[in-house]
Amino acid sequence: MVRAALTPTRRIGQAPSRYATLVPAITVVAAALLAALPIISMTGWYPDFGYLVFIGWRLLRADPWPAWWAAPLGFVNDLFTGYPLGFSVALWSATMLALDLIDRRTMWRDYRTEWVLAAVLIAIDQWLQWRIAKLVDAAPPLSQMAPPLVISICVFPLFAWLISRIDAWRLGR
Amino acid sequence: MATARPGWSRRAQYGLFFSFIAVIAGIVVGLILLTLSLVAPETFQRVRGVALDVTSPITGGLSEVAATAEGLFSGAGNYWDAASQNAELKRERQAMLRRMVEAKAIFQENRQLKATLELREHARTTVAVGRVVGSSFNSPRRFAILSAGSSDGVKVGMPVRSPDGLIGRIIDAGSIASRVLLVSDRANIVPARLLRNGIPVIAQGRGDGTIDVRPLEVGRNPFKRGDIIITSGTGGLYPPLVPIGRVVKLDDDGAVALPLADPANTSFAIVEPAFEPTAVAADAATAATDKP
Repeated sequence: MVRAALTPTRRIGQAPSRYATLVPAITVVAAALLAALPIISMTGWYPDFGYLVFIGWRLLRADPWPAWWAAPLGFVNDLFTGYPLGFSVALWSATMLALDLIDRRTMWRDYRTEWVLAAVLIAIDQWLQWRIAKLVDAAPPLSQMAPPLVISICVFPLFAWLISRIDAWRLGR
Repeated sequence: MATARPGWSRRAQYGLFFSFIAVIAGIVVGLILLTLSLVAPETFQRVRGVALDVTSPITGGLSEVAATAEGLFSGAGNYWDAASQNAELKRERQAMLRRMVEAKAIFQENRQLKATLELREHARTTVAVGRVVGSSFNSPRRFAILSAGSSDGVKVGMPVRSPDGLIGRIIDAGSIASRVLLVSDRANIVPARLLRNGIPVIAQGRGDGTIDVRPLEVGRNPFKRGDIIITSGTGGLYPPLVPIGRVVKLDDDGAVALPLADPANTSFAIVEPAFEPTAVAADAATAATDKP
């Protein structure tokens, strides 16, 4: 027993991945690319994958990427998903700012508060999408936005878990 | 950027300050881009086209795989119960043949009548044929990705249809892929009429895959369940006589219709030139002058 506990779990020579600083941004771009999947849905209930991964990283760590990267990452998401250009650029930058301000206020965080925080951010994302669709007279009734919101919130823990695995891998833990 | 107080180091303090400035700049740039893309959507057509081309190999390739897998399953399903299916198909074929003879007679009569009226026949030309390979499945808007682009002659504004009915119109064109505004999107308003009695109606998407149809004249609700809605050709963008949808539900002053061309099940989509480009151009010109 003691011997087992003393055996190091780390393999010798295991170190952070060479691209550890780039991995979070790459996963966000990959998630944005999920919009290219050949899914033909007439309801639009799938989550905004790019944003889920984005807030997943930001809630896990304070500095997954330099703060200004939010804008180009959002631009990539806008291009691949077909949102009006600039939507994710502004929203993702604002998210970075908002979460930094929240980080200064909060004394402690646990898993449930993070989920609530993520749920609020996802709700803001969905509502803004609806609001912008309304600007061009293309908004469905607000009640139609409820199913995608619930789906996104329920799916978030899965993304958070995946991101924590990727984080452990990139840091060589 | 998250550290509240980076200590006494000037360098760290400046770094924190500049990263705040950078994020605020990001928000401002995003808002400017957003305003531009809402007010003048044509500004970013080139960039959007390039993005479509970049993702189109992924979308196209994966949809090929999905179609093959689906084909294997449905193919196996067809062998099941083949004998009774065969009998049913034979029966249907007989009925269709009878209908076809009728239709041919009507077609001939129609041609003679048109000749006497000396109506100018519009030649239906096909610009390109593509497949619907993707959609905006994470947005309240209803777009589809088409595997044909400007290298095939596709231009923004062209109507897209399938053999079953109207799909929508092109709003972004890359060189090998393009984005289609589906008839089920709220922003897509199609001048239409009822096939049964020719009453002019307006078809507008509802954003959830169905279409809202309303009569142009307020009064009695002219719809019945099962009615077919077809395009009227008014406005000059969509060609006339293309089926749009079938009425499935009535409400107080209109009805809800299901699109006849389901983008998920159409094998190929046909891009056609705008029905009467001069009319569309005139409309656009008046719209531009109306706008202050």
